[in-house]
Parts: sequence; C-alpha cells; structure tokens
Amino acid sequence: MPLDIDRFAHLESSIQRWDPRIKIFSLGLFVFSVAIIQTLPIALLALGVALYFLRLSGLPLDFVSHSMKFIIFFLLPFFIIMPLSYPSSSDMHYHLWGLTLAIEGLRLATLIFIKAVAIVLTTFAMFGSSRFDVSMIALQHLRVPKMLIQMLLFSYRYTFVFMEEMRRMQIAMRVRGFVLRSDMKTLKTIGNFVGTLLVRSFERSERVYKAMLSKGYQGELHSTVTFSADNSDYVKCALVLVTAVAILTLDFSGLFTAASVGWY
Amino acid sequence: MHISDGILSAPVLAAGFAGTVALAAITLRKMDMDEVPKVSVITSVFFVASLIHVPLGPSSVHLLLLGLVGVVLGIRAFPAIMLGVILQTILFGHGGVTVIGVNSVMLGGGGLFAYFVWQQRHRFSFKKNEAIFGALAGASGILASGIILSISLVTTGEHFFATAAYTFAAHIPVAIIEAIVVGACASFLVKVKPDALAGQRMPLVATHAAVASNEIK
Repeated sequence: MPLDIDRFAHLESSIQRWDPRIKIFSLGLFVFSVAIIQTLPIALLALGVALYFLRLSGLPLDFVSHSMKFIIFFLLPFFIIMPLSYPSSSDMHYHLWGLTLAIEGLRLATLIFIKAVAIVLTTFAMFGSSRFDVSMIALQHLRVPKMLIQMLLFSYRYTFVFMEEMRRMQIAMRVRGFVLRSDMKTLKTIGNFVGTLLVRSFERSERVYKAMLSKGYQGELHSTVTFSADNSDYVKCALVLVTAVAILTLDFSGLFTAASVGWY
Repeated sequence: MHISDGILSAPVLAAGFAGTVALAAITLRKMDMDEVPKVSVITSVFFVASLIHVPLGPSSVHLLLLGLVGVVLGIRAFPAIMLGVILQTILFGHGGVTVIGVNSVMLGGGGLFAYFVWQQRHRFSFKKNEAIFGALAGASGILASGIILSISLVTTGEHFFATAAYTFAAHIPVAIIEAIVVGACASFLVKVKPDALAGQRMPLVATHAAVASNEIK
C-alpha cells in the first residue's frame, strides 16, 4: 500500500499553487459542510464539486483510485445492512427470500456512500497537492498545537523506516519457513514479531533522540518554509466557502427531501 | 474498526471532537520533551503493525493492537492513537476529517481502558501474570472501542440500532485474536525489555530511586 500522500505534490496546478494554509482552511470547511448534508441530490452535487477539486489538483486517477478501492470495500456492507435493519414504518419495503428490505435503508446507504466518497476525494486534493511537511507547518499556522505537529512529522517519517524494518523481518521469517495460518502458533509468533519490532524501534528512538539532543534540539523544530498569500488565494477561498454555504442552504431549504424520507 | 465519514450526525461528531480535546489535554499533561519522539515512534510502529493481516478462515483481519499501545505507553496511549488516526486520515483519506474526533475517542478510549486492565496485574501473582493480563488488555481494548462505536451509532439514530449490534458482534473474533497476540507480546517484552512496559515494577534488587522513577513512568 503506498503511503506517501505527497508523491505528486510537485505537479503544477491551481490547487498546488494555492497557499497551503488557506487551502486546508477552505477545503476543511467544505468537508465539514459535506458531512452534514441530508439530501441525495445535494450530496451528488457535492460529489461533483469534489471531483472538480480533484481534477483541478491534477493528481493521477490511478493514485486516487487505489485508495478508493479500500473505502468502497469498507462502505459496501452498508448497502446490505441498512435496508435489512431499517425500522420500516411505511409500506415502502420489498420482500426477498423471506427478508424485508426497507427502501429508506437503501437511500440512507446511498447517501452515506456518496458523502464519504466526496469527502475522501476532497482530502486527496487537500493533502496530495503539497509536501507533507509543508501541510503540517500550514496546520501549525492554523493554530494546531506545535507538539502535535512535531509528533505527526516524526511518526510520518518513521512509518517508512519501520515499514522497511518490518519487510526485512518478514523476509527473515519466510526464509525460516514461517507460513501465516489461522492457528494459535501463528498468532503467538506474530505477538513475538510485534514485540521484536517494538524493542528495535524503542532502541532506535533512543539513539535518534540522543542524536537530536547533540544537534541542539530543545523541543522545537525550525523550518525554512514560508508562506505568502495574495489576492488569488483569497479569491479561491471565497469561491470554496460560497460553494459550501450554497450547498448547505440548498440542503436546508426544503427544496429536496431528506434521504430518510425520499429520493429527491 | 473505525467509522467512516457521512454516517454519524453532527452532534455526535461534535461530541467526538470535544471528547478528543478533553482526553488529549488530560493525557498530555506533564509530558516531557523527551517523550515527544518516543510517543511518535511508537505511533508509527503501531501504524505499521496494523498493516499486518492475520488469516481468519476464508477472510483476514488486520491487527489493531489498541491494547498493546496501552500496555506499552500507559496514559500516553491516547495521544499516540489519536496521532495514528490523524495520520491515517491524511495518508489514506480513510476514516476522514470529520470523524477524527469520534475515532480518536473510540480507539484511544480502548487503549486507555486496556491500560487500566493491564494495571490490575499488580493485584495478582499468577505464574504467567503478564501473558494473562496482556491477553485481557488486548481483548478489553477492542471490546471497549466496540462499545464506544456502538454508542456513537445508536445515539445518531434508531435506524442504526441493528448496524451497531452487527458491528459489535464483528469485534468479538478480533478481540480473541488480539488477546492471543498481545498476551504473547507482553510475555515476550517482560523477558526481553521489561522497562518498555507501562507501570512495570522493577524487581527488589533495584535501588529505591529507580523504583520511584519507574513508578512515575
């Protein structure tokens, strides 16, 4: 599974040129407004807007679709569980092989699916278009606590180191004839495997911390990243915010009925 | 075992963020500078370890190891798991921005509860104390987060009642797997690197000062 979200951060696009602070702020607000949509047509509209963001960001589609596969797989059970479990008050249900399928449940599952896809696509446009450290420093400018940002930067860096470590250990286990099975022995071996990984990383973190101290670390990270916002950045922000407000106004206006009541 | 965007209602999402801020403020208190790299390194270990898939009959489940975070980090398990949730959101879009709060409370709460269970080992002296309480911590971490997940679904609306029940049921096999893995891991760590365990009391040969400093950890 590829973990480097910023692999395509070098691609030139209008989203990439956007000041990361303002980009995260505006797209973040858009995401929250999508999360509270209740009607299906507006959810579709939001999905369209999210697709447009993704297109503007110029990220390759196969990069996004790879992660989308997991999310879709995660959401599919809702299409089965919701129709079966919705307490059907009206006559709107079908009988199939002795099971009662409520149409409200299906509508709700569709709404959940569309909203989740729209939010994930926007998140890709948001974090896929700047380098990870730049996004983090932008978050720091948005008043996210410094300590949290530092820990996120460390964890991100070490994720790749430990992936490599884990891969080496897995090869070593395979060479010695270990095969994953559904039994007690496999689970105990995995327990020891995780323990070894922990001990190694503990010791590595101690060495790294000493190295950091000797280079003058005093609890702060210094960065050469600077931000500058001009008018076009604020115009983009205004456009996104107007879209978010418009979406919510339409959603609450009563022009469309909530997904638990009707399709449109 | 996390919740995705677009399911929960706005009040539940807001409660999740409020709970996360409160729990983070409590669990990050008195955190030293030297703990920053340690907690973040452990976060990435668990992040990587959660990519391990264990075959379970025809399908497979991935490890969560919430209980083990509690066993290793104590109350710092909450910030570590919260970091993991945020990182996952940024890297995969998985989970999503709006549910960072709910997911942190759900998974981090599991980690904290596991630490509470793990600490109960001082009251007993079984032959395989660490393995037993490691297993209990592993299982209770998953079950506690399953309960929090069910609560967040039920409070969103009554139409999620059955979904909540199915989801909780799905946590039970995972809890059994985690119990075995965390139990094995805890008994491994107590032999190899006991000072890596949270709230571990050193044997009596240790000096009084060393015991006192380990108590604080």
